[in-house]
Amino acid sequence: MTLTRPGARHADRAPVRSRLRTPLLYAVSFAVALALAAALVTVGGHSMADALLALYQGSLDGGASIGQTIDETTPLLIVAIGAIVSARAGIFNIGQEGQLIVGAAAGAAIGLFVPGPGWLVGALALLGAALAGALWAGIPAVLYYWRGVDVVVATLLMVFVAMQLVSFAVNRDYLLQETAVEGQILSPQSDLLPEGVRLPRLGEYPDFNLGTGFVIALAVTGVVAYLLRHGKWGFRLRMLGLNPVAARRAGVRAAALGGGALLLSGGAAGLAGGVMLTGGVYRIQAGFADNVGWEGLLVALVARNHPLVAIPVALFFGVLRAGGGFLASTGVPRYLVSVVTALLVLAAAFPAAYAELRKRRRPAVEA
Amino acid sequence: MSMPPSTEHARSAGTAAPAAAVPSVELRRITKRFGSVVACDDVSLSVRPGEIHGLLGQNGAGKSTLMKILTGLVVPDSGEIMMAGRHVEVNDPQTATALGIAMVHQHFSLVGRMRVWENAVLGELGRVDRDHARRVVNEVGERYGLAVNPDAYVDDLSTGERQRVELIKCLRRRPGLLILDEPTSVLTLAESRELFSVLRRVTTDENTTVILISHKLDEILHATDRVTIMRGGAVVARRDTAGTDARDLARAMVGREPATWTAASAVGSMDALVQGGRAATEGDVRLRLTDVRATARDGRPLLSGLSLHVRAGEILGIAGVEGNGQAALGDLLSSLLDLDGGTVEVGGSAVPTGEPGAMHRAGVGVVPEDRHASGCVLDMSVAENLVLTDLDQVSGSVLVSPRKLRERAARLIEEFDIAVPSPDTPMRLLSGGNQQKVVLARELAARPTVLVAAQPTRGLDVGATEYMTERIHQAARDGIAVLLISTELEEILTLAHRVAVIHRGAIVGEMTRADVDLERLGLMMGGRAA
Repeated sequence: MTLTRPGARHADRAPVRSRLRTPLLYAVSFAVALALAAALVTVGGHSMADALLALYQGSLDGGASIGQTIDETTPLLIVAIGAIVSARAGIFNIGQEGQLIVGAAAGAAIGLFVPGPGWLVGALALLGAALAGALWAGIPAVLYYWRGVDVVVATLLMVFVAMQLVSFAVNRDYLLQETAVEGQILSPQSDLLPEGVRLPRLGEYPDFNLGTGFVIALAVTGVVAYLLRHGKWGFRLRMLGLNPVAARRAGVRAAALGGGALLLSGGAAGLAGGVMLTGGVYRIQAGFADNVGWEGLLVALVARNHPLVAIPVALFFGVLRAGGGFLASTGVPRYLVSVVTALLVLAAAFPAAYAELRKRRRPAVEA
Repeated sequence: MSMPPSTEHARSAGTAAPAAAVPSVELRRITKRFGSVVACDDVSLSVRPGEIHGLLGQNGAGKSTLMKILTGLVVPDSGEIMMAGRHVEVNDPQTATALGIAMVHQHFSLVGRMRVWENAVLGELGRVDRDHARRVVNEVGERYGLAVNPDAYVDDLSTGERQRVELIKCLRRRPGLLILDEPTSVLTLAESRELFSVLRRVTTDENTTVILISHKLDEILHATDRVTIMRGGAVVARRDTAGTDARDLARAMVGREPATWTAASAVGSMDALVQGGRAATEGDVRLRLTDVRATARDGRPLLSGLSLHVRAGEILGIAGVEGNGQAALGDLLSSLLDLDGGTVEVGGSAVPTGEPGAMHRAGVGVVPEDRHASGCVLDMSVAENLVLTDLDQVSGSVLVSPRKLRERAARLIEEFDIAVPSPDTPMRLLSGGNQQKVVLARELAARPTVLVAAQPTRGLDVGATEYMTERIHQAARDGIAVLLISTELEEILTLAHRVAVIHRGAIVGEMTRADVDLERLGLMMGGRAA
């Protein structure tokens, strides 16, 4: 294929080909994913048509389902926006899953133990969640700018530390574990947040109902999108990401700006954890993060680091999460649901990941 | 096509024939053009078996192209290659290897994260025999005095040791002809001496023929038997080393006074040349470097006690052969390099080195040597590239004003005559000349007191070159202190009021334009005190 040999002569032809290639790639990858999913579901003794119908019913059919989808979308979007900020600076934070759960744990601690009016404690819980997520990303940031430790590796490994830490906390009654009730065995989870601390919800089940976290997600997206496009900060961030040497010459301090971007992305993941906690889950447990961090990262990847594109992409992932939950309740085994949704996620992520890989390999080929 | 059975030819010819009878290698009337540029113009070169033959010339003289032809990397347009009196076709590097031709390139081709013995057998077919490979490395190393630990990782080796690995890679194949391209440019003096004694051993013990490409006069005088001097793609002189001296070689390498005066008058810098001496003594000193020292990460000295000053309205040309500290000097004034010692003063006050943006804030504009690496951001638009360093001029405390950004871009595009469809065009799509104009426009728009132009016309066509030359000259007329760093002697002689020569990271000599003596200049560039 001529496209693997970049060069001046191909420069004029490449855009046309790539414009055609992208939709084609999406079509092919979704076709392959659906075929595989159908095969698996059929072999498992279920009907693929029923499964797709259930996916639809669980996510888009009726007010309750739509609300559920938006609730699932909200943290994904916040995580993705954070990932986009650091990616723009050329830094790849992949530890959102850990930053998210640490944020949620901090939010739970504040919500449960800080006295005061509910709305204030709720706001403090969200703020604390964001700060804790930023702190968790701050450790790799310091390691990188101080000692040159690879950000990808450090953020990833911090996920497992976070998991263990939260698991430890919810298993200790002097930390976050629920208060003892006579005659009951304690579960590894915290108490439910008091009513006043929770984010308000619109509507009531079984009608259309929705957490207000999506307002926070949209606000974060809007502000970041605007500043990335029109702000001095966004300009410098792009400069740093696209050519760190030129940025340094122009007076950009990589440690401050790049490290700041890493902190912001961790803070966004922490905030997403806080929103999940105060918006609908209300208690922290070891499995709290439930892949939202990883999937938020995928949202950023599929959206190719454009904050506004991340909104529909996050919605698509939200549909899969909400629909998958419903599908499981119709009798299709949970593992099969996981495989089917994972295949669709892969189908959505593959073309972007492929493009990213090609982009990174190109300089090596040229040199 | 029959392929001569490899090294035996060159070698047997070497042992049997007395010197000068049958040349080991002969290039006959080689011509190679790249587009309109003639890299090699009817070049003939004859090398005797068992001699060290020097190939001397400035950057761009055609030395490297000639050797690429000999090693099969470039196919000549016309001409003939003879080895041991027989015609050979060298169409690819494999053929060259089979003919017993080996080359150590200026930039090493080693895999840093592999061990020495792994590098030595890299590219070979068949099973990897570790013990054998290690034994070979040790044997070859012992025979030629190239001691290196076969189990060491290349990344952990010094530059001198890496070169030993390169040499071992070549010598283990027992080549009939060994070519070295600027082998000492990365070596310390002691390492260079060691290298030359190895080369001598290779030629006397094994009767291997060596071609040594260099621009260092001392090296040529010290290490070679005969020397061929190239300039502008043609052979201009051939000498027996014993019967020549540094002056003679310098004169041949640099040539007569280039056609500077016509070029200068064409771009209107005639008056500057005439008044050269005056401008140099009048203005205030705007840039002063005092005894600056810097070291590369691998411990190689980059700048070793360099001092210079530039006055307002003056162009100081830094002449010298590539790789003698020019890049470090440019990096230093771009805030990309921190110093071990010494000071940089701009307008009389010291500027911290290595602090992002400090030089720019102090009023130093830089047209960097590699514009893609540090001069611009290829994936941002032209308008954005025009404000990279002066973002505050088009923005409030938080937001960039798109209107001001475009206005400024439109103004600079017109003022500097940049050919671009729209200010929003990505920088990547511009020609080299227009990219360079964008960089220059941005740096001059910041109203600098000092302008550093590093290889400002490298890779540009004639029109763009003329444009840059005129702009730099104009900057000096406007009272900016200009530091022109160039390996093109002609460019320096066209523009500079004063010429300083850089060698091994320090200024080794200086003269006003009016007093330029090319022979002396050539000697200094070749590292000889004069």
